[in-house]
Amino acid sequence: MKMASSVSKVKLLDGNKRLDGRGFKDLRDLKITAGVLKKAQGSAMVEWGRNKVIAGVYGPREVFPRHRTDPYRAIINCKYAMAPFSSLEEHGRAGPNRRAMEIGKVAKHVFENTVFTNLFPKTMIDISMEILQSDGGTRIAGITAASVAVVDAGIPVKDLVQGVSVGKVEGKLVVDLGKTEDNFGQSDVPAIVSLRSKEILLYQMDGMLTKDEIHESLDLIFEAAKVVRQKQADALKEKYERIEENVASEKPSGRSEQGEEEVM
Amino acid sequence: MEETKRILLPGDLVAEGPKRLDGCFVEKGNTYAAVVGILSGERVIPLKGFYVPRYDDYVIGIVKNVRFSGYEVEINSPYYGTLSSREMREEFKVGDVISAKIMSVNEVNDTELVEPRRLYGGEIIEIEHVKVPRVIGKNASMLAMISESTRAEVLIGKNGRIYLKGGDVALASLAIIKICREAHTSGLTERVKEFLEKETGTKIGAPAREREEGEAPENREVG
Repeated sequence: MKMASSVSKVKLLDGNKRLDGRGFKDLRDLKITAGVLKKAQGSAMVEWGRNKVIAGVYGPREVFPRHRTDPYRAIINCKYAMAPFSSLEEHGRAGPNRRAMEIGKVAKHVFENTVFTNLFPKTMIDISMEILQSDGGTRIAGITAASVAVVDAGIPVKDLVQGVSVGKVEGKLVVDLGKTEDNFGQSDVPAIVSLRSKEILLYQMDGMLTKDEIHESLDLIFEAAKVVRQKQADALKEKYERIEENVASEKPSGRSEQGEEEVM
Repeated sequence: MEETKRILLPGDLVAEGPKRLDGCFVEKGNTYAAVVGILSGERVIPLKGFYVPRYDDYVIGIVKNVRFSGYEVEINSPYYGTLSSREMREEFKVGDVISAKIMSVNEVNDTELVEPRRLYGGEIIEIEHVKVPRVIGKNASMLAMISESTRAEVLIGKNGRIYLKGGDVALASLAIIKICREAHTSGLTERVKEFLEKETGTKIGAPAREREEGEAPENREVG
């Protein structure tokens, strides 16, 4: 697929329907699971349409290399990485590249503004987002997952943050763009917001939007973020309620059965 | 904890007006949760977290480094404890397990330890430090129950390390793991009691018939 020559040829809207049959304001299917990794302090998996992301959080721990130590706050490292098999095209080649480093940097700024880093001086917190499968909007899926993972790790934060993308496709504002809409549409805006404080923690724009469209798109972002937050909350609550249910349905078990179980 | 429990997430409103609560923060005059926890009355009980040293806590640590001036002790926390050798009689080696008291923590969480005691011949298990209060129980009831029925010496550090020695260490660990898995459910003491009674085949709380005087397990709550 060559982008430039085919922009006008791709038909992205059919009446009020989008390519995959969604309405303009519909999100793709979103599934969030908290605590998917045993060895990480906190972790989460986000399956968002055909995107699949795992985020893991390690720390706070001693800073390495040591000279980066900040005596006033914890430093945050974010790593965004696409698996070589994550995408059909050039994105997923092994190793960090300009794009991955940029996304790691903007994610770092998001968490520097949500985590109470001042409580843990001289430490660092490592957040990594691994993109296993990509279909447009992986940075917001990654940060949405990382936010759940940070909370799952027990690190104090100001709020769960949500990612949503909006964009312009054939002159219409649409929410949660897929890869094709992203590549061939007129504009694409990934954003990270905090619903409680109405803060915007990340706002990047590809293409053009008018001033009015930006105002309208912000409303769409905050509206869609409510759906995402609900899923995040459900994921975290489920993790702890799951334990309760297990206890309720547990048969009285003896040592022989329990001996096999893993220590937490 | 009979009142309805509600799981709180970061950003959820805990109280109108500014309140100084653990695991919470104040913004624009209202108090919000900063961690996942359970709202119990006016308190947020965290469900997950890591240990940050506090003054007066008893901790169980592992000696990681020997220096001229003392020892660096790993205390299951992002921060190391330092043990000054100035007023110490004993000498430690790297890898020694010790219990110690936290004498001071400064604003960057540098931690000074005192009253070291080497622990040997037992086992340590690690649990999440937020679950330590459940393992101890109200008035140390849970702890007393475990050490009574397993006859193990149980030493609990606030940092989530538990030292077990003597008696049925395996059963004591199983009971502790069970407590941690079911930490925030109600009726836990009863279930653990049932579990221990079933495993040992003896009733808890009954007068210890076959136990001789002076053989009673040493039962210490550290922290």
